[in-house]
Amino acid sequence: MIWGVMIAMAVAASAFLFVLLLGKSDGSVSPAHATLAILNDQLSEVSRDEKRGLISANEARAASQEIKRRILAQGRYHTVPQSGKFGNIAIVIAALFVPISAATYYNYAGSPDIASVAFADRQEEIEERRRIEDLTRRLAEQLLADPNGGALEGWMLLGQTYARLGRRADAADAYEQASLKEGADSVVYSMLAEALIVAEQGVITPKAERAIDQAILLDPRNPAGTYYKALAFHQNGQGKMAYDMLVERLETADDFAPWMETFVVRANIIAAEVGAEPISLAQFAPMMAGGAPGPTREDVEAVGEMSADEQNEFIRSMVARLADRLAEEPDDLDGWMRLGNAYKVLNEVDQAIDAYEKAQDLLEGTSSQDPRRAAVAQALSELGDQ
Amino acid sequence: MLPELGHFSLALALFLALVQSILPLIGANRGDVRLMRSAEVTAYAQVVFVGFAFAALLNAFITSDFTVLNVTNNSNSLKPMIFKIAATWGSHEGSLLLWVFILTIFGAGVAIFGSNLPTSLRARTLSVQAWISVGFLSFMLLTSNPFDRIFPPPLDGDDLNPLLQDIGLAMHPPLLYFGYVGFSIVFSFAAAALIEGRVDAAWARWVRPWTLAAWVSLTAGIALGSWWAYYELGWGGWWFWDPVENVSFMPWLLGTALLHSAIVTEKRDAFKSWTILLAILTFSLSLLGTFIVRSGLLTSVHAFAVDPERGMYILGLLALSIGGSLTLYAWRAPAMVGGGLFKPVSREAGLLINNLILAAATGTVLFGTLYPLFLEAITGDKISVGPQFFNAAFIPMMLPLIFLMGLGPFLSWKRADLAGIVQRLKFVAGLTLIASLVIWYLYERGPVLAFVMLLLAVWLMFTTLHEWAMRIRLFESDLKTAWRRARNLPRAAYGMTTAHLGVALLMLGMIGSTVWKDEVIKFAEPGTTLEIGDFDVTFEGTDRVRGPNYFSERGILRVEMDGEYVTTLYPERRTYPVAQSTTTESAIRSTPAGDLYASISAPSLESAEAAGAWTLRILYEPLVILIWIGSFMLCFGGLLSLSDRRLRVGAPKKSKTLGSQAQAAE
Repeated sequence: MIWGVMIAMAVAASAFLFVLLLGKSDGSVSPAHATLAILNDQLSEVSRDEKRGLISANEARAASQEIKRRILAQGRYHTVPQSGKFGNIAIVIAALFVPISAATYYNYAGSPDIASVAFADRQEEIEERRRIEDLTRRLAEQLLADPNGGALEGWMLLGQTYARLGRRADAADAYEQASLKEGADSVVYSMLAEALIVAEQGVITPKAERAIDQAILLDPRNPAGTYYKALAFHQNGQGKMAYDMLVERLETADDFAPWMETFVVRANIIAAEVGAEPISLAQFAPMMAGGAPGPTREDVEAVGEMSADEQNEFIRSMVARLADRLAEEPDDLDGWMRLGNAYKVLNEVDQAIDAYEKAQDLLEGTSSQDPRRAAVAQALSELGDQ
Repeated sequence: MLPELGHFSLALALFLALVQSILPLIGANRGDVRLMRSAEVTAYAQVVFVGFAFAALLNAFITSDFTVLNVTNNSNSLKPMIFKIAATWGSHEGSLLLWVFILTIFGAGVAIFGSNLPTSLRARTLSVQAWISVGFLSFMLLTSNPFDRIFPPPLDGDDLNPLLQDIGLAMHPPLLYFGYVGFSIVFSFAAAALIEGRVDAAWARWVRPWTLAAWVSLTAGIALGSWWAYYELGWGGWWFWDPVENVSFMPWLLGTALLHSAIVTEKRDAFKSWTILLAILTFSLSLLGTFIVRSGLLTSVHAFAVDPERGMYILGLLALSIGGSLTLYAWRAPAMVGGGLFKPVSREAGLLINNLILAAATGTVLFGTLYPLFLEAITGDKISVGPQFFNAAFIPMMLPLIFLMGLGPFLSWKRADLAGIVQRLKFVAGLTLIASLVIWYLYERGPVLAFVMLLLAVWLMFTTLHEWAMRIRLFESDLKTAWRRARNLPRAAYGMTTAHLGVALLMLGMIGSTVWKDEVIKFAEPGTTLEIGDFDVTFEGTDRVRGPNYFSERGILRVEMDGEYVTTLYPERRTYPVAQSTTTESAIRSTPAGDLYASISAPSLESAEAAGAWTLRILYEPLVILIWIGSFMLCFGGLLSLSDRRLRVGAPKKSKTLGSQAQAAE
């Protein structure tokens, strides 16, 4: 329907111009003609004023003389307007140019797929929000009424809810309350830092920086702490420092984790500014390459000295140990992937598929951008082909 | 769907404007009637499509359609309807759309009412006007699209800057834009006349009403903005010489000059080239105003339009339009045929001096406004040019103008009799002196400049009234004749009298509210009584009030005079949770004698908050109401004059009748 209306509008725009071609091609007002009309009007105006007694006979005579002088001065200008073929062609071109150009522009800049949604038509959403706001208010009142000042977890929950509702300053306040509680750990401080930074539209205030430092102090491996510290360095003009910090943290990561993508993106933004080497996620997330922190060099050398049977036995014992461990800790995603890979190498297709499917189930709960998804999918499809 | 149709509509309007900026010019050059006529149809088409786009945006604001980014950023579902509507032009993008909408309305106006204009002049004028349209529409579509979308929409919007949620300010931008854009039409006429190479009676007849309409809107816009600052910002001032105020004041000053010079062009066929130059410069200053406000070049109370990239685009437009038109002027203006001659003492000469003073005053304000910018650009030093500079440089320059304003209307066209006028005004001069001394005696203090200002304000008032009395022969014949003459007097004459009286009142208000102001700023606890003027103001405490999208702390101030209860003032400090900002709402008791003005600031110390102590700012500003009345009279006078559709010609009087009669048909 939207296209129909737009076509109608475009046709209307053209029609304005096409109508010109139907109209008369003469009847223009020449400058001399227009001026004379005004001067003649003025003459009759003067005599009307004289009759009404507004101006004296003397004044009327002077004014009339002045006007007549101006009338005589006219008549020097003469043009004979006409309409030609050239004009008609130009109008046709213009009438086509307008809708075509507008359509080209709109094709590039418009968003025809986005429907308009009036606020009044969003009752369900609004109800839901009202319910959340209501719960939030009750939670806040409860925490404030608590003689002990409210539980740490309560303030954290309140902060998260405020953040989701877009009440940034309130979120920061709630996290700040949480940070004053006993047992506030690194995560609390990094959440506080994040809320403060968001509330200030990305600017890292001294207060936020104190929270960052506290988060790092309590847990130097908290990625959020490192990330915001790097942002702080970047904002202070120490881009290289920020970049190094991000890369170092990526290098010391054990496994892939979703935060690494954010680190890589930020590090590359800074790298472009300071002229450092751009990095890619694959350098730090081993799963991307299909490998795993497997046997060490010594292991491999030791295995190399064994006979074929001994080797086979050794590998199978390692795999069995891994399988046993995973039976007890079934949530180890990377473990399942390693197991799948091992079975694949051993050509145990069914068991490899089993392990990868376990991994796939666990992947449900991760980011859609997680590179392990692709790795698992690829392995499964390879196994399926065999 | 509507926002997308609005977007598409703007694109159609842009390309229609492009057509309009080329075809009619070719037509006028070749004498092709159809091509010249195309200016009219494209002008109509533009107003239809831009109007549709504006309606689409308005609808998005009214229904709170948060899929439109502009609505999300500037509105909120809880906002009162009137401010939802006003938010349409409260944002940068929306205000541009309003700008262009007004531009196209005026363009259609020229097309509709211009049937008695020479066809070629009308075509060229509309074509020049379409250049401006192209500039602004492309600026909007390329850098500031009001129809940018987001999906999924956020649950609610971020709200408009609460300072802007005010009825005075809701009307301020549209009026200001009517003024700016009105001058754009005059500019288009001027550029068309330069291309045409001649200025004739039809041209002059057309330029004056457009100038007048633009000037009235601009006056009203500036006055509203000033009124808003007075009661909303909580400082009790009505003019701060803030750069953003200055940039609207400069086109006003030059527009005032243009208004008077257009009268000479219309009546005496003189000052043609000068009128054209003024038209170009006035619109250039309007563009400069838009540029300075929209680029965020200046940091001031008007800090809500900050975007340097857009600034570069407007700077380009500015350079193109001002540079282009001035080049055109330098090339074509010498070919203009000069008009009526006049003697050094005459109405023309008076108006010429008026023009020179106004132009010099504009230059002064321009210098004071731009100097800090240039200094910062060149040396990196940040300075601000404050009221001291403007008061010292601008006010003394304007004083001779006020003197002339009183005198001017007595001068007749072409040649005037100075001796006769002096004879006539002896009485008024005496009256002025006595009245000023009486007022001075009543207040008994204030600097010399203020006294001179007062003297001139009173002078202007009496001369203006005297001139009117003389015209209707109030004291020279019986009352019946005077009444008949008063009724027959053209509305344009009343327009002038009203506007000039308005200036006199404006000056009195300015003097009263600055020189005789009484101000107390105090950190007060409940129960404290402050003395100000003749009033005793007792701070009784605060309470909390809830509004639709804000809550506020409201101070309660009991006002007494000589032990008698006068009124209670409730200044507020409002907090808007969504926009996360606070505003002050002053409480004002307004009487003709003066305003008692109170505002309340947040307690600065936590311990003080416990004690309920607040910073109170209380002012007594005598006669401040005259500023608003004077501004209103300026606008009303302009409208009166605008409503006068009479044709004008200014004829000199015959020498023998000099001094004995009112001057020729006004």
